[in-house]
Amino acid sequence: MRQNSLSRSGFDTLGNKLVRSVISWWQIIHFGAVALVLVLSPSSYDKVNRSAIAKHIYMSTWQVLLWFTALCALISLVLVRIIVVTALSYGLSQYALEVVVRVLVLELIPLGAALFVVLRSNVEISPTLAESSMRTEVVPRVIAIAFSVITLAAVSSLVALVMAYIVVYGFSPWGLAEYTRMVGRVFDPGIAVAFILKTVLFSLAVSIIPIATAMQTRHQYIGVNNSVPKGTVRLFLALVLIEGASLSIKFI
Amino acid sequence: MQSESESQSVSQQPSVPPPNIEFKALALVILMVVIVSASLAYVMYARGVFESTQQVVLIADDSEGVIVGMDLTFSGFPIGRVRRIELSDEGKARIVVDVARKDAKWIRTSSVFTMERGMVGDTRLRVFSGVLTDPPLPDGAIRTVLLGDATSEIPHLVDTMRSLLENLENMTKSGSSLRASLDNMQAVTQNLKGPYGGLGVVLGGDDNAQKIITALDHINTLLAKTDSRVFGADGMMDESQAAISQVNELLSDVRTSLKSVDVVLAQAQVIGSNVEVASTDLVVLREQVEASLRKVEHLVNEINRKWPLSRDTKLKLP
Repeated sequence: MRQNSLSRSGFDTLGNKLVRSVISWWQIIHFGAVALVLVLSPSSYDKVNRSAIAKHIYMSTWQVLLWFTALCALISLVLVRIIVVTALSYGLSQYALEVVVRVLVLELIPLGAALFVVLRSNVEISPTLAESSMRTEVVPRVIAIAFSVITLAAVSSLVALVMAYIVVYGFSPWGLAEYTRMVGRVFDPGIAVAFILKTVLFSLAVSIIPIATAMQTRHQYIGVNNSVPKGTVRLFLALVLIEGASLSIKFI
Repeated sequence: MQSESESQSVSQQPSVPPPNIEFKALALVILMVVIVSASLAYVMYARGVFESTQQVVLIADDSEGVIVGMDLTFSGFPIGRVRRIELSDEGKARIVVDVARKDAKWIRTSSVFTMERGMVGDTRLRVFSGVLTDPPLPDGAIRTVLLGDATSEIPHLVDTMRSLLENLENMTKSGSSLRASLDNMQAVTQNLKGPYGGLGVVLGGDDNAQKIITALDHINTLLAKTDSRVFGADGMMDESQAAISQVNELLSDVRTSLKSVDVVLAQAQVIGSNVEVASTDLVVLREQVEASLRKVEHLVNEINRKWPLSRDTKLKLP
């Protein structure tokens, strides 16, 4: 009887956790939908909000753009060099650039930009935040963080493409036609749409999930400091799911 | 670190915004829009969206390895890309290739299209134009692709290799003709090492070689004698030279005699012409004599007819 009661309580606990998790994800999705509606609403771009959005864009993007680009260029240089030299040693140099673009630009850089923004963003939700203040406090953060992910991914992709060209062809312009053709071969319509969609989903996940989790914990009277790791874990899970879905669509 | 502290200070003191913050945010938005638009335009340009193209339809038995977007190359340069692959009503693969109009001059009506599948790497579509003065290929032309599949040759290669190995085994086993030939070759080389070397091998034995060598010795002796008789002092050559000089002298005498004969012949020719004239006169004379004789004969006949006693015309029977 005691064992039965223990197992029943354990099952109840597991069931409760599952239900809480589903409810939590539903709240996140609901929050994301509300936030998206507010983002797309013209009334969210009044003078006060524009100032707040500008401030958050400045903090999340302007302050990091330069050195993130430099860091990305350095990492791209190293990775491109490794891939090109390895391909050359196996006699597969004609595939090196394609591999670089597919691995670096299509997969690593959007994920890297999203993770960088996640690690840098400092989600602080005021305990006195009301639902009515969502338009003035939450929406600017959502817009700024999503903008940051997209901008960093775009700039670093461009830098990676330039670095790949320089590593392979040097500063000669004569490889441009072949390089352009290779880029065109890689970015067929399906891949290009998947790339854009993945980057947009990354930006939405990074901008919505941490804030939504923080607001849930505020409602549940849990310390704010504990909410960030919980939101980060959920965010990582979402990012991995998006990346996995993208790879599955592309390669399966 | 500096940026982190700056961001914290900004978040902690929202009342003191950084200078030109809205301008910077606007610049970032414009930068992002420009980068995204330029990237989209570049990818579209790279995909050939803005270039004018014409189509070539390639018919292949098998489209394995051909993917949409792969290049059609001419002399190693990509001049077209595969737009669509479909199955035709005949059950063959139709590979629709877009060729840029500026590169379409390399494809002629006599051009040959090949699809090569290597053992490593992807499939390649190539076009070869041997005669560049032929008319250009029209838009929408349909051509058959020649397949060059390296892996399809492997079974044939294995069969050939197997038969080759079997032949090699037959050739090298004991009692084979090659083994016998090698034995014979060994015997020949043994003979080559003998006293008469290759001569004995060629003639079939040392005895025959000995005879040849003896004959050669005799020939050498005969040649020495001939040399002394022909080219030696008072030999045939000296006598021949003397005879030749005598013949030369004789010929000069003959030439002189012939000149005298020429003179005689000229005189004879003159005499002949005179005789010809004389013979013409003789004909006239003869005609006159014949006429006189005919007159005499006529006279005799007349006398005989008019002389009555001298003729008895009766026939007496016994």
